[in-house]
Amino acid sequence: MLGSTLTDARVETGFSLAFHIVFAVFGVGLPWLLLFTEGRWLKTGDPTWLALTRKWSRVMAVLFAIGAVSGTVLSFEFGLLWPAFMARYGGVLGLPFTLEAFAFFAEAIFVGLYLYGWKRLSPRAHWLTLWPIAISGTLSTLFIVTANSWMNVPTGIKEVGGKVVSAEPLAPLTGPGALPESLHMLLAALMCTGGVVAAVYAVGMLRGRRDSYHRRGFRVGLVTVLAMAPLQLVVGDLAARVVEKYQPAKLAAMEALTHTQSHAPLTLGGIYDPSTGKTRFGIEIPDGLSLLTGFRTDKTIRGLDILPAKQQPATPVVHLAFDTMVGGGMAILGLAALLTVVALWRRRKGVRPLIPLSRPWLLAGGLTGPAAMAAMLAGWEVTEAGRQPWIVYGRMTVREAATTSGGIGWSLIATIVVYLGLATALLLILRRLATGAPPELADGVENPGPRDPESPDHAPQSPDPQDREPQSPERQTPESQTPETSPELEGAAR
Amino acid sequence: MTAVDLLLGVIVYALAAYALLAGADFGAGVWDLLARGRHAERERRLIAHALGPVWEANHVWLIFVIVATFSGFPSAFGIIARGLELPLALALAGIVLRGAAYVYRAYGEGAAGPDSLWSRVFAVASSITPFMLGVSGAALATGKITPSSGPLTPFESPFTLVAGAFAVVVTAFLAAVYLCYDAGTDPETEDLVPAFRRRALAAAALAGVVSLALLPLLYQDAPTVAHRFTERSIPFVAVAVVCGFGSIAVIWKRHYVLARATAATAVIGVLLGWAAAQYPDLVVGAATARDSAAGSANLHALLIAMAFGMVVILPAFYMLLKVFSGPERDAITTEPAN
Repeated sequence: MLGSTLTDARVETGFSLAFHIVFAVFGVGLPWLLLFTEGRWLKTGDPTWLALTRKWSRVMAVLFAIGAVSGTVLSFEFGLLWPAFMARYGGVLGLPFTLEAFAFFAEAIFVGLYLYGWKRLSPRAHWLTLWPIAISGTLSTLFIVTANSWMNVPTGIKEVGGKVVSAEPLAPLTGPGALPESLHMLLAALMCTGGVVAAVYAVGMLRGRRDSYHRRGFRVGLVTVLAMAPLQLVVGDLAARVVEKYQPAKLAAMEALTHTQSHAPLTLGGIYDPSTGKTRFGIEIPDGLSLLTGFRTDKTIRGLDILPAKQQPATPVVHLAFDTMVGGGMAILGLAALLTVVALWRRRKGVRPLIPLSRPWLLAGGLTGPAAMAAMLAGWEVTEAGRQPWIVYGRMTVREAATTSGGIGWSLIATIVVYLGLATALLLILRRLATGAPPELADGVENPGPRDPESPDHAPQSPDPQDREPQSPERQTPESQTPETSPELEGAAR
Repeated sequence: MTAVDLLLGVIVYALAAYALLAGADFGAGVWDLLARGRHAERERRLIAHALGPVWEANHVWLIFVIVATFSGFPSAFGIIARGLELPLALALAGIVLRGAAYVYRAYGEGAAGPDSLWSRVFAVASSITPFMLGVSGAALATGKITPSSGPLTPFESPFTLVAGAFAVVVTAFLAAVYLCYDAGTDPETEDLVPAFRRRALAAAALAGVVSLALLPLLYQDAPTVAHRFTERSIPFVAVAVVCGFGSIAVIWKRHYVLARATAATAVIGVLLGWAAAQYPDLVVGAATARDSAAGSANLHALLIAMAFGMVVILPAFYMLLKVFSGPERDAITTEPAN
C-alpha cells in the first residue's frame, strides 16, 4: 500500500513499538514515584503528598491501560507481520516472554487493587500494593528487553537447514547483552518518567503556580531523572562494549566509522554520507573511539567495510540516532553535575531550597523530559536500525522473516489512523489532568503572589520553609481528604 | 502425559479463564451497546463499575495464551498468524479500542470528546472482539487454514460465522449472569436486577438455539473435528447442556451465586468439547501439536516457569476478585502512622 510488504511491516512494527514504549515507560516509572509520594503522605499526613499521589495514580491508570493494549498489539504483530521469525524462533524466546507475561499479570492484578482499592484497603495496605506493581513493572521491562537482546546477540542455539534443532532455554536471559541492554532500558524508563514529571511541574511554575504541590512534583521528578543519569552512563557504556564485541557493524554505524583502523577517531554529530563514506559537519576527535573502546589509542576498531555495502545498516540514521541519544543523556548528566555542585554550595551557605527554582533552572529542569524521551526513542532506533538487515543477528534477515500477505498496507494504514486518534485523545486527557493542585489544597497553600524563590529572607535553620503549610491544630485524617468524586470511587456515587 | 499434552492443557485452562473472566467483560460491553430506556445510564455505570478493577488482569489471560502458543508451538503459531490474520487483526482492533475507550471515558472528564462517544466505541469494540475470536477458533477446525490460504478464508464457511455469533451470545450470557449478582449486592442498584435477569434468560435461550444451528454446520464444514466430536466430546457437551438448562432454572429462581457456577460450567463444557475434538491438531490439516512443538528442553523450561508463575499469580488473582466482590466496606478506617 505504501511501500513493499517488507517496508510496510517494518514501518508498522516501528510505529507500534514507538507508541507502546512512549506510554509504557510511565507504567514502569510512576509506581516507584508513587511509592515515594504516597509513603510521604502516610508518614506526614500532608495533603499535598496525597494530592500528588492521586493525580499521578490517575495518570498511571490511563497510561497503564494504553500500555497494556498496545503491548497486546505487539504480541500479535510478531506473528502477523513476522510469521517466519516466530515460527522458527518463538520457542527460543519462550521463556522471557512467558516470564514477562507473568510479570504483566502481577502488574495488572495489583494495578486493579491499587487504583480501585482506595475505599476497600487500609492506607498502609493500599501503599503496599504499589510494591508488586513497581517490581513487576521493572521485571517485565527486563524480561522483554532480554528477548530483544537475544535477537541482537543470539546465543545458545543450534540450527540445521533453517530449523532450530536445540536451543538452550535460558540463553535469552543469560546472553552477553541481556543485562546491560535491559538495564539500559529500565534506567531510560525511569529517566523519562522523572523528566516528564519535572517538565509538567516546571511548566506549571513558569506559569506562576509556585505552590508546594508544584515544587514537590518538580523536585521528585527532577531528582529521579538526574540521579539515574550517572548510572545510565555506566550501563550504556557496558551495552556499547557488548555491541563492539558482538555486533561490530552496528558500532561502526553508530560511530560512522567507514574503515577498519587503529587510532579510530570519535565523530560527534554530523550527517554520514554513504556515497563518500565521510561525515559532513561532524566534529572529529582523533583517536577518540580507540581510546574509549580499548583504553589505548592504537586499538583497532572494525569499520563498516567488514561487510559489503548491501549488508550494512543504514549508517546515516544510526549515527544520527546514536548521537541524539548520547547528546540527550550527556545534557542531562551535565545538569545533574551542575545541580549537585549548586546544591552543595547552597547547603553550605544555608540557602533553601537546595534546588534553585528561578526561571533558567526551571527551564533546564523541564527540558530533561523532552531530552530523555528523545534519547530513549533514538536509542531504540539505534538498536533496531543498527541490527539491519537482520531480525536475528547473523541468522535471519527481516526479508526472510516478513509476512508474504498482501494486506499489510491496509493494516499499516489502520494502525496509524487508530494510534494517531488514540494518541491525540490521550494527550488531550493528560492535558486536562494537568490542571494544577486540586481545589481542596488551595487554602493556605497557594502563595499569595509571585515571590522570588531566591530571596534571602528564608531562615536557614528551617529545613524547607517553602514546603511548610500552615497546619491546623487537628490534622485532617486521610479519609476526610479522599476526594469525593473520581472514577475509582464511582461505586459510592452511583 | 507428555510435555506437549501438558502444555496444551495449560493453554486450554488459560483459554477457559479468559472466556469466563474477560469473556464476561466483553459481554458486558454488549449490554452497554444494547442498554435502552430510562435506566440505560445507570446500567452503563454498573457495567463500568464491575469492569474497573479487573478487566486488565482478565485480559492478561489472552496474552498468556498467545505467548504460550508461540513459545510452545512456534511453527503452528506461524501458520495461525498467517491464516487468521484478518480475524485476529480485527479482534486486536477491538481489544485496543475497547481498552482505550474504557479508560478515556473513566478518566477523560470529556477532554477528548464526550463520554457518549467513548461509550459507543467501548460497546461496539466489545462486541467485535468475541465474534472475531469465535471465528478464529472455529476456523482452526475447518481444515481450510493453511500457510497460503487467503485472508477471507476464515469467514467463508457458515460454521465459523455462526461460531462467532455463538461466542458473542455466550459472553453476553455470562455477563448478564454476573451482573445480576453485582447489581444485587448494592441497595442502590438492586432495581436493575430484574432487567439483567431477563437478559440472562434470553441470552441462555438464544445460546441454546445458536448451538443447535452450530452442530449441523460443524459436521458440514469441519468433518475431521466433527468425527472426533462424536467420539470424544459427548460427555463434555452433556455437562454443558445440563448446566445450560440448570442455569435457566436457577436464574428463574433468582439464585445468582449458584447461577454463576452453572453458567461457568456450561461454558467450560463447550470449550472442553471443542478442545477434545480438536486434539491433536492445532490447525486441522496443517499443524499438529507434536510436529509444531518447540524443543523439549524449551517446553520443560516453559512448564517449570508456568508452574512457579501460577503459584504467585493465582493467589493474587483470587485476592483481586475477593477484594472487589461484594459491597464496599466502610471507608478507610486505619489512620496513617505518625
